Amino acid sequence: MTAVSIHARGLTVLAPDGRTMVQPLDLDLVGGETVALIGESGSGKTLTAKSLIGLLPPGFRAQGEVRYGEQAFELSMPDAAWRPLRGRTVSLLLQDPFTSLSPVHRCGEQIAWTIEAATGRRLRGAARTSAIAARLAEVRLPERVARAYPHELSGGMRQRVAIAAALASDPVLLIADEPTTALDASNQAEILDLLHGIQTARGMAVLLISHDLGLVRGRTDRVLVMRSGEIVERGDTATVLAAPEHAYTRALIEVDPAMRALAADDGSTADGSADDGSTPALAAGTDRPTAVLEASGIVKRFGERTVLDDVSIALRPGEVTGVVGESGSGKSTLARCIAGLEREDGGEIRFEGVVLAPGRGSRTPAQMQIVFQDPYSSLNPMMSIGAILREALHVARRPAADVAVLLETVGLPADFAGKRPAQLSGGQRQRVAIARALAPRPSVLICDESVSALDVSVQAQVLALLAQLRDELGLAILFISHDLAVVREIADTVTVLWDGRVVEQGECARVLTAPEHEYTRLLIAAGRRENPRAAASDLASKGTR
Amino acid sequence: MSTSTTARAVVDGPVGVEFRSKHRVPIVVAISLGFLAIVMFFVVAAPFLVPNATEQDILSSLLPPGTPGHPLGTDELGRDILALTIAGATSALVGPCIVAVGSMLIGVLLGTVAGYERGWVDFLVSRWTDLLLALPVLLAAIVVAGVFGGGYWTTTLLLIVLFSPSDIRIVRAGVLEQSARPYIEAAQMLSLSRWRVMFRHILPNVSTLVITNAMLNVAFAIVAFSSLSFLGVGVPAGTADWGRQLTDARSIMFDNPAAAIVPALLIIAVACAVNLVGDWLGQRLTRTGGVA
Repeated sequence: MTAVSIHARGLTVLAPDGRTMVQPLDLDLVGGETVALIGESGSGKTLTAKSLIGLLPPGFRAQGEVRYGEQAFELSMPDAAWRPLRGRTVSLLLQDPFTSLSPVHRCGEQIAWTIEAATGRRLRGAARTSAIAARLAEVRLPERVARAYPHELSGGMRQRVAIAAALASDPVLLIADEPTTALDASNQAEILDLLHGIQTARGMAVLLISHDLGLVRGRTDRVLVMRSGEIVERGDTATVLAAPEHAYTRALIEVDPAMRALAADDGSTADGSADDGSTPALAAGTDRPTAVLEASGIVKRFGERTVLDDVSIALRPGEVTGVVGESGSGKSTLARCIAGLEREDGGEIRFEGVVLAPGRGSRTPAQMQIVFQDPYSSLNPMMSIGAILREALHVARRPAADVAVLLETVGLPADFAGKRPAQLSGGQRQRVAIARALAPRPSVLICDESVSALDVSVQAQVLALLAQLRDELGLAILFISHDLAVVREIADTVTVLWDGRVVEQGECARVLTAPEHEYTRLLIAAGRRENPRAAASDLASKGTR
Repeated sequence: MSTSTTARAVVDGPVGVEFRSKHRVPIVVAISLGFLAIVMFFVVAAPFLVPNATEQDILSSLLPPGTPGHPLGTDELGRDILALTIAGATSALVGPCIVAVGSMLIGVLLGTVAGYERGWVDFLVSRWTDLLLALPVLLAAIVVAGVFGGGYWTTTLLLIVLFSPSDIRIVRAGVLEQSARPYIEAAQMLSLSRWRVMFRHILPNVSTLVITNAMLNVAFAIVAFSSLSFLGVGVPAGTADWGRQLTDARSIMFDNPAAAIVPALLIIAVACAVNLVGDWLGQRLTRTGGVA
């Protein structure tokens, strides 16, 4: 396949009210090349990408023109004119593999559709089976996946099916919109490496949209930094990340925990020592407060599968206890058992020494609250922020006037009470979720991947807020995350879960700098986006546990 | 330099762009709404406009359309078709609206409880809906009319029961979907009562489905009522009713075609208008965040 180059000229996106969301910009992609478009949510990076395929939200208009190889198109052309391009010349890979695949059709069928749509021919019998198998093999999935439904696959496998479907039509350009944000670190690296391999083999151009600089580093050729609809910096990825010229790029790099961790490890900046300084000295074990919540020997099974196997953990007031592990390691289940949203099959959970029976019934709102991962679905879309907080205050018999106090605690202005969740950004919503959790004055705050869905800079703010709440309110925080860099930021102690078991437990600084267990070392490597899967299979073959 | 100040500087951009454009009412929907408003006016005003619509006058029977004083002519009993049609608007719309609201209330109550509580409540409710869905509506209505005697309100009650399964199922499915969302678990973390979770948190989020389905039910019920009247098990003979008019007009099709055509067209037009408005309402509510 010959490499086709793509050139956009004067690309502009206008909002329904006439505001310019993306300032006129030029974009050039050469076949075989990966260009990253980075920036925060609201920076216009997704609008830019969607205008290249005519998929802007209703009311939004694009101007300018784009050339796919020899063919030139007006970006403002009507939907019907875009249709022949979509899925053939250009494919789109979305963030969430769960929603981009149809839940009621087998994966093989969905791949076959795109092949059929692109070729205009119906596939039947053996030809169909072998075409699907070939596409699956390209994304290194076994043939049996063709007969599986999306819900039977893991997040990483689903995203590979989505890639296979997106690539089935041999597009010249693949737009990947945050393709790995919903995945854990080792899956992220693997998916991107896979994409890179296919891209090189086919001479396809890839436009990678991301907010994650760690992923962009080393996996893209060029990078465009976008802010408020404008390209503020562009150039060679290595050059831009090593020596950013624009203040915004520098700020982005600075707030990215993975980049900072990298810098700290290199010892090349002074920030590293400052990070360590923020962690209270825990070495003097006798000075530590007694645990407010203790879980011991927790066992949880889903059917035949044992998800948690003899897991023990203690939460102390004024401390953040981190729990890390890959998806499927059981860390969320542990959080949910402690919160009473899931019933454990064995073990004991004690709150201030009193045993709590499994389930919600035995827990009071003042004992513990939880903040979930997805800020978009954790607030009732039909209630105003004020109503959400008033309800939580009412439960705790606190006056409704405390809404302003709660909002202030989480750093939001009082007039937010009149807003609806849909009017807020992800970070703001997560602050509201934290405010709601704080309303009953809980002793324990459970954060289940609470910052994972946020942009890096917003992530930094929410982490700072949590640290502040820990110090000011003496909260015991259980912090669940797949991102070691984030845990390193905030946790005092850390528990590493692997396949439902605790493989390492201890002071955060010690565990993350001098890990004793091989799996922990592996996770740390994955956090640096090295090649973890190869190491994982090494580990599995050695049978170490 | 501290990280947090930098972070704050970085995010001071535009936040929460609203993707909501101004909604212009499509022309078809505007026409439907206008038409329904006119019909509603006649429902309210009929007793004053045409108090004697059903009075018979043998001397002026079977006048063709266009006769002075009888723009749509008269039927074989000398009743003015225009007056009869205006008076018939009441029974054509009131019953269907009551059916839609009644089955909606049953659907909301049983559907929400079944979807949220699961277990044996869900089992009982689901089997009950399966049973009702297996009954053909018209046939059941004819049987019930045969056993208990027909009549408008018997029919209304029966249709409420027979229409409720679709509401129950739709609400139950919506509640099942919402129950798994984190905001419901957050409400459970606050130990809110189950009734509060069900009706304050979940129900508003399935209201789009409920309202849209109720509108569609109105359209179905209009047709069901008219069919039953046509079959003679709805309203008693002599009542002003569009379906009844169709039956009565069968024998005078060639003397005064308007006697059949006008009520028939009105049944079709009202049912279509309600459907169009219902669809539009559903789309609009979904777009403005009624159901995610």
